[in-house]
Amino acid sequence: MSEKKHEMNATPPKPDHGRRRVIIRTVGLKKHYDMKGVVTEALRGVDVEIYTGEFISVMGPSGSGKTTFFNMIGALDSPSAGRVFIDEVDAAQLTAEELAYLRCNKIGYIFQSYNLIQYMTALENVTTPMIFGGVLPDEARKRGMELLDLVGLGERWHHRPIEMSGGQQQRVAIARSLANQPSVLLCDEPTGNLDLATGQGILEVLQRLNEIKGVTVICATHDHRMLDICDRLMWIRDGRIQRIARRDELHIEVGAIGGETA
Amino acid sequence: MKPIQVADQPRLGLLRTTRITVDGIRYRLFRTSVTVAVIAMAVAFLMNILSESLMKRAVAHDTREQIARMHTVHDWAARLTRPGTPEEIIASLSRAEEHDAVYRETAAMAKLTPEAMAELHRSAREAADILRFFDDLDYARRRALIHAASGAGIFERLGTPTGFEQFKTALAGMKSVRFIMRLNDLTRFLSAWPKTLARIEQVRQGRAQAIRNVDAARGGRTILAALAETGGEFGQAVRDAGFAFDAQVTAPGVADRAQRILDQRRLEKSAESILMLQAIAQRRNVVPTDVTVAMMWGLLRGRRAATWYRGRLGQSIDTLKTENQKLARESEELKKNDEQIRKNNEQIKLNDEKTKENLHTIREKLVPASDLTPERMTELARHRNREAALARAERLTVGMGRGWMGLGERMGWLLFVSMLVCVIGISNAMLMSVTERFREIATMKCLGALDGFIMIMFVLESCFLGVVGGLIGAVLGSLIGLGRMLAAFGTTFMASVPVVDLLAAMIVAVGLGVVLAAVAAVYPSFKAARLAPMEAMRVE
Repeated sequence: MSEKKHEMNATPPKPDHGRRRVIIRTVGLKKHYDMKGVVTEALRGVDVEIYTGEFISVMGPSGSGKTTFFNMIGALDSPSAGRVFIDEVDAAQLTAEELAYLRCNKIGYIFQSYNLIQYMTALENVTTPMIFGGVLPDEARKRGMELLDLVGLGERWHHRPIEMSGGQQQRVAIARSLANQPSVLLCDEPTGNLDLATGQGILEVLQRLNEIKGVTVICATHDHRMLDICDRLMWIRDGRIQRIARRDELHIEVGAIGGETA
Repeated sequence: MKPIQVADQPRLGLLRTTRITVDGIRYRLFRTSVTVAVIAMAVAFLMNILSESLMKRAVAHDTREQIARMHTVHDWAARLTRPGTPEEIIASLSRAEEHDAVYRETAAMAKLTPEAMAELHRSAREAADILRFFDDLDYARRRALIHAASGAGIFERLGTPTGFEQFKTALAGMKSVRFIMRLNDLTRFLSAWPKTLARIEQVRQGRAQAIRNVDAARGGRTILAALAETGGEFGQAVRDAGFAFDAQVTAPGVADRAQRILDQRRLEKSAESILMLQAIAQRRNVVPTDVTVAMMWGLLRGRRAATWYRGRLGQSIDTLKTENQKLARESEELKKNDEQIRKNNEQIKLNDEKTKENLHTIREKLVPASDLTPERMTELARHRNREAALARAERLTVGMGRGWMGLGERMGWLLFVSMLVCVIGISNAMLMSVTERFREIATMKCLGALDGFIMIMFVLESCFLGVVGGLIGAVLGSLIGLGRMLAAFGTTFMASVPVVDLLAAMIVAVGLGVVLAAVAAVYPSFKAARLAPMEAMRVE
């Protein structure tokens, strides 16, 4: 691990393209849940800007509002107060059909529990978003096979989720999330249920996607290996952003993350 | 703000949606089986009722003529021997139309002018309606309205001021009962009633006179014997007396039937003699006291048995004759012995009585039946069987409703309630399905599925189940209904099964199953479509 320590500090940050634009912006984001009179405030005002081509990790203990934050920026839920702008468009103004289009074409989702459709084969799982997006079946099948090859599951395209291991299912989920070439990937604990080796493979895929294809990746995670590949880190605690920092501004040592503390 | 191009968010092709739906069903086979079973039961219930009702209607239709013909002989026998009570005259007149034979016959016999006859006909119809109204009423209400009066007595009672008052008051107090005519019309009818009654009496007299004329031609014969004659003279005498007894159609049919009844009676009498009882008992392997008339008729359905029976008749006659000869010889012997004269005389008397009894049996019971050929016996047995089935059919089809597909009003209500229960059951099953699949639905929405797609998916799935359940239920219900009906009517009515009607009813039933399933799925699928995709993000 000590070699790792040197590597972490030695890797230079990604070149900063001067004309980066904001792909997701939140302004004063607040969310509370009202359950039979008991009000739980999940987010208490979050302002953040996420740039295209970025790899940002969101960290925080459970109950900190991480998942809620993800729901907001993924257009899966609407805030109680404040606004979310996706590509400069206020998400609250969108109709149901526009939201569906958004989720289909612009944003890809990867969940900790894979969320594959159990009665469809791997290929069918991957091609479903393409079908929703209006791709013809033959074309969809071709692209689906390519994506499965990309994640290394080319021979298992006809297997159903129940016949695959966790890692393989997660890889299928990744392939699925890339189906319509989204601009943003939202990953909720992608390596949470996986063993070390498989998790490493997943991280490599994500890194490749981010560097080569320029996909914006937003990851919620506990996995410290994510630190290797991300550009920025964000800590959320008690519904507020505790800290956002670029990786090269941090001193990372085993067991602790130093640098400026909040 | 840049607008988002919704481009062509496609409506998913029906084929693909179908494939996805079918895969989904295969995956959750057990629960879908439960839903299918619910639909199948509801449709089977509907189909059962429909098939029974259709079968009854078909049988009623097919047998109407035959049943009418079955009653013809008895109707004529009654008409030619009794003038009829006022109620009977009212009933027959009300059933007749102006061009009917009965109408003209009555007018001629009662010597009524056409206008008088028309008036009588109208009054008879009104009277018949009133009588039917009171017949259909339940006992409590009837008693309140007209106390214990019945038949023509009702009109007598209503004709009195107190009777009418009581009727009016009681009727006003019954909210759910509506009299068939306005009270003004009723009053008019009642004031004309004495004249009507007088005319009815005229009809009675006329008929009585005609009957007396017929009696002369009858000679000493029973009416059935007279009707059964083949010569036609009696028929002519009946026509001369004024009855509409046409020679072409009615007379021959009646003659056949009357002859058949006479012959049947002959055979039944033969089965009363002890010798024939024993013969039948032996053949059927029972005790003689257990032998019934039905047993005899059952035997005679087969030609060989009929031949055997006739043989035994002849045998029995010979046996008794032989016994008579023996008794005669014995009596002769006894007369010669002086010592035992008193005892012998008693014995002779006994012998005489036995001889007489045997002669009586031979003459009254055995010989008439032995005139019949075995073929005739078998023919009679078959006719009797058919008539028994017809009588049973008549009884069973009496309570038939006149509505759509032969259903009555109450049945419609019952069906509605059962359909409602079915819808609720399916709704419940579908709601469970939605709840179990919320993850899947949320995932689909994350991938870009439109709300409408989710709804279509669920409704389509429900429709599939509706088709399958409907088919199973329709077949099952028809089989059960038909089975029960054939068991009740007897297999002789197999030919009456209304196949085309049943198929139509099955299509309707399956269609109903699909509609029910679709309707039941609307609310759950609506709820499903509205599920927020954020459910998918929740970590277990």
